[in-house]
Amino acid sequence: MAFDLEVNGVRHSVDADPQTPLLWIIRDRIGLSGTKFSCGIGSCGACTVHIDGQPVRSCSVAAETAAGKAITTIEGISSDGSHPVQLAFKELDAPQCGYCQSGMIMSALALLEAIPDPGDADIDAWVTNACRCSTYYRVRQAIHLAAELMRAEQ
Amino acid sequence: MSATGDRGRRPGQHNPTRAPDTRLTDVQRGESISHQRTPPGSGKTTERTGVDRREFLAMAAAAKGAFVMGFWLPPRPASAQQSEGTVWYEDPEAPEINAWIVIEPDDTVTVRIAQTELGQGVWTSNAMMVAEELRCDWSRVRPEYASANRDARELAPEWTLEVMGDGARDPNGGGEPGFGNRARTGVFGIPDSLYRRMRTNAAASVKDGRYYLQLAGAEARERLLLAAANEWDVPVNELTVRDSVITHAPSGRTTTYGAIARLAAVTPHPNPETISIKPPGEWTLMGTEQKNLDVPMKVTGETVYAIDVSLPGMKWAAVKTCPVYGGDVAAYDFDAIRDLPGVRSAMRLPIPDTALTRGRTFSGGVAVIADTWYEAKTALDRMPIDWTVPPENAAFNTANMRQALLDSLDAPGTIRVDEGDVDTGFADAAQVVEATYSTPYLPRARMEPGNATVLVTDERVDIWIGDQSPQETRFSASQITGIPEEQVYLHMCHLGGGFGRNGNGPQAEQAITIANANRGTPIHMLWTREEDFIGTTYRAMGMARLKAGLDEDGWPLALEVRIAMQADGFGPTASFGGASRYHAPNYRFSNHTTDFHVPVGTRRGVSQAAHEFYRETFIDELARAAGRDPYLYRRELIARTDIPYKDDMIRALDIAAEMSGWGIPLPRGTARAIALEERGAETGRSATISAMVHTVSVSRNGTVRLERVDVAHETGFGLVNPLSVKKQIEGQITWFYNDAMHQACTIADGRIVENNFDSFPLSRMDEDPPEINIRFFETDHWLIGMGHDRATSVQSGIGDAIFQITGKRFRDLPFSRHDLSWG
Repeated sequence: MAFDLEVNGVRHSVDADPQTPLLWIIRDRIGLSGTKFSCGIGSCGACTVHIDGQPVRSCSVAAETAAGKAITTIEGISSDGSHPVQLAFKELDAPQCGYCQSGMIMSALALLEAIPDPGDADIDAWVTNACRCSTYYRVRQAIHLAAELMRAEQ
Repeated sequence: MSATGDRGRRPGQHNPTRAPDTRLTDVQRGESISHQRTPPGSGKTTERTGVDRREFLAMAAAAKGAFVMGFWLPPRPASAQQSEGTVWYEDPEAPEINAWIVIEPDDTVTVRIAQTELGQGVWTSNAMMVAEELRCDWSRVRPEYASANRDARELAPEWTLEVMGDGARDPNGGGEPGFGNRARTGVFGIPDSLYRRMRTNAAASVKDGRYYLQLAGAEARERLLLAAANEWDVPVNELTVRDSVITHAPSGRTTTYGAIARLAAVTPHPNPETISIKPPGEWTLMGTEQKNLDVPMKVTGETVYAIDVSLPGMKWAAVKTCPVYGGDVAAYDFDAIRDLPGVRSAMRLPIPDTALTRGRTFSGGVAVIADTWYEAKTALDRMPIDWTVPPENAAFNTANMRQALLDSLDAPGTIRVDEGDVDTGFADAAQVVEATYSTPYLPRARMEPGNATVLVTDERVDIWIGDQSPQETRFSASQITGIPEEQVYLHMCHLGGGFGRNGNGPQAEQAITIANANRGTPIHMLWTREEDFIGTTYRAMGMARLKAGLDEDGWPLALEVRIAMQADGFGPTASFGGASRYHAPNYRFSNHTTDFHVPVGTRRGVSQAAHEFYRETFIDELARAAGRDPYLYRRELIARTDIPYKDDMIRALDIAAEMSGWGIPLPRGTARAIALEERGAETGRSATISAMVHTVSVSRNGTVRLERVDVAHETGFGLVNPLSVKKQIEGQITWFYNDAMHQACTIADGRIVENNFDSFPLSRMDEDPPEINIRFFETDHWLIGMGHDRATSVQSGIGDAIFQITGKRFRDLPFSRHDLSWG
């Protein structure tokens, strides 16, 4: 069954079971591989994307529920790594293996769009992604730096 | 003939006289797809890969795996096509100076990396070691993976084989690489094949590879200078080089590496045995904090992990193996799922040959092959499967395994160390302290589930994989398919976490088996998270009984350490096996083994991580029994030993204590604990020493928070990239926080119970320590490694802080399974 999805501002007609998790449509049908599979149960957050600006675990959302909404993946936040959140993660050299970082960045971005000057408790509440390399210490600093950069942009 | 005197070059293998873009990985360039017949009129083929350049470009452009690290493959003019008789890595426009270094006309330097990047920073630190000697422009260095295929065909240059200098205590030498043997399928030593050690393990990439990576840079630099000297007809010793620019001061002439590289590639080194490497005092790049070269790709989602590889015509495979190790498939009903969308076939996966899994027994299973992975996985979930389970394995559960370990502790065991007279020491003691500890089975739980893409044809095998042992995977591919190793091509991808070489499990072996049964079709096999918990090896469940007899002042007269683990669970580091770093005039250490069915292996920290929990907790208990400060108690016990590097250990404790404000009162509910971390010291050779103080709070309702960690870490003669070391320490702290607080895998009816992140929790931001202070101090030996074995002290530290705050001493990890409330 075909349905339309709008990902990073581009409309795609997808011919797949509409109950397929959004993650697999994004990765296999639309071909954007920056969003990662890890747990498959909505726990770790490696698959985090935005639907209408809200962060969701895309492994646990049926693709059809995102029809007609604006989906944003890591590839959609900048084409060249120039988004303030990306700049901040680079400045802190935050990633290690990097596998969770797409999801981590998407959660951080959702936080910063909702709370431009987050405290540590806000970060704890919003960025619930798992990182097995345990980059949290630098990710926290990067989020604070990204907040500064984003405020300076405005 | 090779200009560099490589021993292994075969007739017809040309030295660098070929073409293009160094920005490609080996994978892209030559470990290309030759299974397809060369299309008519498409041009010439290379003698070795049988691949036409244009065909390769088409294939590469279609294969996302070709863009590993995001280095785009640009279109190439027909005029620059590879000429007949050259091999894929020989490119006249981007000459290979030696097997590690390629230099393009614009001074881009490609450095081939033989280890796998899994977050530890090897992609950057290996390149730094080469670039330090090459004296090239660091901003133009581009790493790429070294070819495991070439490694099967060529031997290492002679000049890489001998380690210069006088071992771990000689700052001018090559340190103490871990040579055990030179077998080309070597597991324990460093093979003498082209890239030497290609595995990634034991935190040893610097220790094992530094001297020959520095040599590779130095050899190339000397040939580049020699080529320029020949060109200008001036003495080579009148040349200087900096940032890829060669200068002849007397005449004022300059040239660049990019300009001279073609000539250098055919300029042999007249006497490579004279090449020397810089000692740490002369380093200018090594020893500086360098951001990791691959980080920019990791914040955009562009990094291609193995899971992201997609090839034309590729099918996906989902796998389910018997949840009881050693079990197999009795029957499965493919007819039940045959008509589901996308489903192509199903096949049986035999129990992997233990000769290919370092003796570990995994399970047999079933693979379903479909157009997409989600289709394969959902069909497999619906397919009835009957298992054949060995009853003796299904009889295991955590309770009876724990009892077996306890029983083995009561047995005599195998005595490894027996100094003095322990029994007399106990008899003379004013008090005897005894404690029994346990640590559970623990998997790695890397974020990227096990997977690999494999294409088998009758001529060759291509494997796209994140793998910590490519040489061994190459061997597996050959054994499974019958195709010689020289025709196995590994296209290495960054790993989405590693944490232990053999923790990759049989991901390659399963994928190769499936692809071998589907020759001509690329197969991407991917495990579910749950399957990843079956496919990995575990750190062994362990128990220990420590007993000390103390004199009237609280100092040990006798120490006995008994450790029980399954026979293959001790790993490479028994860690109590040498002299005790805490003095006891009478000391006995014994191993007590059991026979369990769970495959165990080298998880981050290996068995030593468990042993450190036992040891450091016990020392805390002894200090409390003696009524002494745990910091000063450790300090004195180390001072009383004659263990090598004891002064460095004491410095580590002193610095960490001072950093932490040791002794300054804390509010009720917060406590500090200290511990020493060292590996290798008892050998007097390479070692790594650190100490940490953990400041921990426990709320009245039992919520633990690691508030602050103060770290004193030695540099040895030098750290290659101190930034990566800091990142590793930060990560290790949280890794062992998880081990201490949350993580355990239990066994029920022979199965692993916890198999996803709901039941096997990973800590998140809210539990991470808000403050980590790291201070480095200089010492006078080469480190044995930096990474997996640090921060083991988080375990004992949290345990002792809980004791200080609640009065309760817990000896079974993880702590979250105990009632930690107080007051």
